[in-house]
Parts: sequence; structure tokens; C-alpha cells
Amino acid sequence: MKRTGLARTSLDAALCILAGMVLAGTMASDGISERAKRLHFSSLVVDTHADTTQRFLDDGFDLGARNALGSVDIPRMKKGGLGAIFFSIWIPSKITGAVAVKRALDQIDEVHEQVQRHRNDLVLVTTAEGIREARKQDKIAALIGVEGGHMIASDLSVLRTYVALGARYMTLTHTGNVEWADASTDKPVHNGLTEFGKEVVREMNRLGMMVDVSHVSDKTFADVLEVSRAPVFASHSDCRAICDAPRNMSDAMIRALAAKGGVIQINYHVGFLSQEFRDAERAHPEWDKAIALEIRQRCGEREGCRLIEGDRITREYVLRGDLPRVEWTKIIEHIDHAVKVAGIDHVGLGSDFDGANMPFGMEDASKLPRITQALLEKGYSAGDVKKILGENTLRVMADVERVSRELNASE
Amino acid sequence: MRQARVSLLVCLLAAGFLMSQVATGDDVADRARKLHFSSIVLDTHDDTTQRFFSKEFDLGKRNPDGAIDIPRMREGGMNAIFFSIWIDGRIMGPPAVQKALDQIDLVHENVIKYSKDLTFCRTAEEVRRAHAQGKIAVLMGVEGGHMIGNDIHVLRMFGDLGVRYMTLTHFYNDEWADSSTDKPAHNGLTDFGKEIVKEMNRQGIMVDISHVSDKTFYDALEVSKAPLIASHSSCRALCNHVRDMSDDMIRALAAKGGVIQINYEKSFIDQAYKDAQDKLSGGVVSMMDQIRKECGDDPECAEKKMADIEKQAVADGKLPHVSWERIIDHIDHAVKVGGIDHVGLGSDFDGANMPEGMEDCTHLPQITEALMRKGYSDEDIRKILGGNLLRVMEANERVSREMQASQY
Repeated sequence: MKRTGLARTSLDAALCILAGMVLAGTMASDGISERAKRLHFSSLVVDTHADTTQRFLDDGFDLGARNALGSVDIPRMKKGGLGAIFFSIWIPSKITGAVAVKRALDQIDEVHEQVQRHRNDLVLVTTAEGIREARKQDKIAALIGVEGGHMIASDLSVLRTYVALGARYMTLTHTGNVEWADASTDKPVHNGLTEFGKEVVREMNRLGMMVDVSHVSDKTFADVLEVSRAPVFASHSDCRAICDAPRNMSDAMIRALAAKGGVIQINYHVGFLSQEFRDAERAHPEWDKAIALEIRQRCGEREGCRLIEGDRITREYVLRGDLPRVEWTKIIEHIDHAVKVAGIDHVGLGSDFDGANMPFGMEDASKLPRITQALLEKGYSAGDVKKILGENTLRVMADVERVSRELNASE
Repeated sequence: MRQARVSLLVCLLAAGFLMSQVATGDDVADRARKLHFSSIVLDTHDDTTQRFFSKEFDLGKRNPDGAIDIPRMREGGMNAIFFSIWIDGRIMGPPAVQKALDQIDLVHENVIKYSKDLTFCRTAEEVRRAHAQGKIAVLMGVEGGHMIGNDIHVLRMFGDLGVRYMTLTHFYNDEWADSSTDKPAHNGLTDFGKEIVKEMNRQGIMVDISHVSDKTFYDALEVSKAPLIASHSSCRALCNHVRDMSDDMIRALAAKGGVIQINYEKSFIDQAYKDAQDKLSGGVVSMMDQIRKECGDDPECAEKKMADIEKQAVADGKLPHVSWERIIDHIDHAVKVGGIDHVGLGSDFDGANMPEGMEDCTHLPQITEALMRKGYSDEDIRKILGGNLLRVMEANERVSREMQASQY
């Protein structure tokens, strides 16, 4: 496994390995050069989307222990040099109204409680500066993102409450439309953002909450870009040019996002990374149903379990040869493509750990240094790698905070 | 007034004070004003929050009605206030949670809007700092356990949003505690109710036993590791209302370091008024039911209706006049029973019928003057005006820190 990924990278990457070995000296047995390690562990590595929160609600999960399943826990975050993680607050988009609000609060509380429980390793932060401060204290910064506007129940007071409780981005929709915005995976009913949806975006600007365009329809995306006074970001999306999924972004969208100073955070989900995988999945809708059934049998309604088992069962299909095997290096392809389209200042990492099907070689957060190694091999400078690992996201956060201050001052 | 001055003199002489100059009435008034306007004057219960939903109400301007706004708080020297988060006790579950969040947000939004005058506070220390900066300290209490939707997560979220006390029930029982104005269903606190009290201790959210049944009170007293408060209750010995506290309860509350914050509501402070009101309406709940029928889901309408009915009844002589001085009687009684360290102010402004002469918070300096005339020392008056409550807050903060440190 250790060298497979490298062997599968393209020729120019292979040449870079040679160059890298000459420049950085020895390669350790884990395939990560000393230079890559130094760079990786001195960088702020920010992941804007992990669904681990669902596991917090399951009995017996301990974020502080190394877990056999899933992708994220404190030991593996440390091993992978993850400096900041956005825990996603998510409930299915069919749950709406006050029930959605209460369940979102339950999850926000779980994040707070986990941080409190592991306060020697974690600290809850809400700003770019807070992330840098956490690093100085040798702690992992925990942040909160709300994945789906349905959780505000069309109530700006609730939106503000989430911000008061520490949430710093909201994905406008999840897979289903909300009452004020269309999703990319639902039938359009609002032609993008409604007037209230625009008000939501403006209020998010005022509050310093990042507007997340992952999951939304192309028209919603265009509307958001027009309305938002601050840069917007895609917390976990890939490039349609490589894998044509509605959840991914076209080159034109990536360019427009970048032109407004935003950032696309590359998602590691195999169904968004690989056209081949996506095609195979779509060719056999019965497998999707079978997987769903299997998940239900294993987990019932426990969402944490469902997400983890979904990943495991999908892997079983891959190992049987039913679904194609997707390597982690696909992530690098998407990063590289997005950089070519949008520029080096507009790409970051949004794994979707614990909420999606991970490619081989990126099973968990401990594997993250591979990304640094691969980017160096591709010829990215240390400064450019730092941008992708986290600095671009931190810049967008700081910009959103600045716009918020300006809007509040002029009010 | 004359009587009050005489009793002050008697008191001072009895205490053996050598008086180099005999205080004239004006001297007392001056001294009282100086004392009042240099003290932290803290009110633990105001229902003004409901008015934040109204387009006609502006906290920053002097309003022709109601009891609280910034200009009048300045005039009355009220510089620390707990805005009450309250919804009808029969709304439960997730809708109750969301409605509570709406109100919490409105409190925060008003603090932002009037940040020159107001500052949001979570601790006793922050209240003191606000006072030192000449700002009004804004705090929040949740009036009724039904708003947590039977969910400890939600309770903690309220704490994170700045809520610093929760009244365990309102007029109706909730699913884990009996109210004083409802038929007992749980024999006090259920096991889950006890868990909630412990979690409140851990979060540093003061446990408020106003509104709860006597059995719930004693259960909470037994379970709580931190001193309790009655955020707006008066003395049963002077007015036998279930919402008030018996002398035994006041003593038990004080023995655990807690504080009773005297409520100004006429039917809680005046026996004759309460008796007449009972005859007219047959109790609080049945009156509320009637008003609810007329006002539906609009609490402001209900408030107004209640006030109108009340005013008319007083005018018609069906209800007796009640003077603000009854408040002083209750303070004095509670001090005699519970001790000087265990009494404070919990007006119920904008949520109750105020006695004559205490129509709004501009009248608060009268309380200081009356206590001074009764012979209370400056130090004791400061305790009643806010010092005692701040001490209880600090004790709750300490218990919270200790519990959190010993955990995990």
C-alpha cells in the first residue's frame, strides 16, 4: 500500500520524486520525505468538512481513543497533522421546522461537550486568528459548520443563535431544496435563491458566517455569488471537469468563485472524485438500494453508524470487483485541476471524512501528509502547499470576518 | 413618611449611635439617592422581552406604557437586569425550544443595538465591570423548564447562549417538575428533574424555584450543590399566595446560601388584594385561560388585557388599592426571617400588576430611601439592591468550576 499511490502518479510526478529526493534527502519508510513532513507538520492543515459529529451521538464513541472504524479521532488527527477541523452539524433535509432546530442544537452541544471533555487536545474556536492561536497552544482547533439551511427553520433568530453558539459556516442546502434555496440534487423550485434566501445570505455576511455553496444548485450558486458581500466557499466539492457530478463545480463556477476571493475545498468522496466510479454506481442503481438496505440492517437510524458502515460496505463492493478501486491520488488530480483553473489562492481541503466513501490510501486523517508529499512531488512550492493545506481557507475566514465588522460598523 | 422617619430615629438611637448631626428628611433623601445611584441595582425578573417582538416598542426610547426602557432604567438607577425568556407553559417540545431561541436572540440583538448603554453579562464579575463602566448589565433567565424540550443538550445550549437562571416551572407542571399553580403530578422533581438541577449546577445556571410547588422546592434544595434563588417571589406570611414562600421555605433557602428576590405583583404582596382577586377571577390559571381565549397566541395582547381588566376592577372598587410600600414590608419580613444576606429584588416588571407608586423602574430609588428610613445600613441596603444576588451568582460559578474540574 505504502508505495502504490506514488507508483500510480503521473510521469512528471515521478520525475519530481527524483528531484525531491535529491533536494530533500532521504524518504522515510512511510513514503513521506523529511521535507514533506517538516512542511506538513509546520503548516496549519484545515479540513472544512467532517461528519464525525454524528458519531458523537452514538453510545460508546470516544474521540480521544484511536478507533478501529471511521476516519477522525484525536490520535489520528495528531498523526496526520490536522490543525483545524470543522465538525459538521447535519440532519437529513427532510427533517424541518422546530424539530430540525432542536436536533441541530443537540449536535452543537455534542461538539461543545467533546471539546470540553478533551480540552487538553482540542479548543473550540470561531476565527482564523483562533485557529492560529490554537496551534500556538499545540491544540487542534475545533470549529462548527451547519450543513443545510433547513436547520434554521426559515428563522433568522435561529441562524444568529447558531453563530452565537460558534457555527462559522452554513451550507445553504443539503441534498434536498430548502424553503428558500434550490439544491443540486433536487428538482429546482425556487430558481435559485428566494428573496428570503438572499436575506439569509446578507445576514450571514453581517454575522461573519461563511456562505457555503457545496450542495446548492448552479443557479443558487450564481445568486449567492451576486448577493454575498464576502467571499463564499465550497466546503466539500470537487471538479466537474474530472467527475461530472452535480455536487461538483464546473470550471466556470470555480473561476467565478475565485474571482470573488473564495475557495473550493476538495472533497475525498470517491463518487465525486472518479468518473469511473460514478459511472459504475449509476449503471447499477440496484447496488445503491442493496447498500442502503444493508446499512439499515447494521445501524437502524443511528446516523454515525450509517455513515461509517456505508463507507465499509461500499469498500466490500470494490474488493469484490463490482465497483472500481479509486486511489487517494485522485484527490491530488482535483486539487491540481482546481489550481490550474482558479489559481493557487483558491483551493483547500474538505475531506467529508466520516460522511462519505474514502479512496484507497486516504482512509483516515492520519494519511493527510501524503497530500503534502504528492504536491511537493508535483512541483508545488512550500508556500503554495501551505496555501492549499489551510492558508487559503484562513484567508477567506479572515475576509468574511472583516466584511462582518464593516457591515456592523456601517449599520 | 413621618412614621418612617420616627422609626429610623428610634432605631438609630437604640443602636446607640452618637449623632453629631440629626438627619433631616432631606438629608436622608439625599443620602439615599447617593447610595442608590452608586449601587448595583439588580432586578432578577423582567418580562420586557415579550415587548421586543412589538414594532411599537423601542427599548432605547422612553415608552408611554410598560415599566422598563433604557431612559427609565437610567432614571431609576437600575443597572442590572435579567430579561426573562418566557413562553406559555403549554407549548412544549421543539416548538418551545425554537420560540425560546427567538427571544434569546432578541435580547442579544437589543444589546447590540444599544451597545452604548447595555452590555451583556454572564458572570457577577462582568456585572461589576459593567457597573464600573457606567453601563447597564443585561442578563437572561429562562422562566420555565418546559422550554428545554426535555433535553439536557438544549439546557446546555441555553447556558452557552448566556442564560444564567432557569425557573424550573411556570404556571403549569412540566414533564419533570410540579408547579405551585397546577395539580401535583410528579410529587416534586422526577429523577430527570433532579438530573436537570445537577446539570444546571455544572453549567453555572442558577436554579430558580419561583413558581414551583413546595415539594419541588424542597427536592431542588436537597439536590442542588449550589445556592438557589427565587427570582420573583414574596412572603406567604404577609400574603398567603402559593406563588410566595412560607417562612420555613425562606429559612431553608437562606440556610443553603440562597436568596429570595421580592416580587412587586399586587396579588403576591397584599392579602386583601389577593382575596378580592380570587373572588373575582377564581385564581390565576382560570383567569389566564379566559384571556388566552381572547388573545390567542399573542402574549402582549394578554398582558394588556390583564392590565385593563385589573385597572377597571380597581376603579370600580372591586379590587383594593395597593401601595408600593408593601414591597418594603415583604423585604423587611424576608430579612427578619432569612437574614440580611438572603433578600433581593425581582420586580416582575412588564409581567405583573404593579402597586401604586411603583408603576415603573423610575420609582426604584424609593426602595432605597424607605429602607434607609427603616434603619437599614448602607451596606445592608446594597446587599438587598444587588449584592446578595451577585454573591449567589458567584457561588454558582464556583460550584460550576469545581464540578467541571472534577469531571472527566
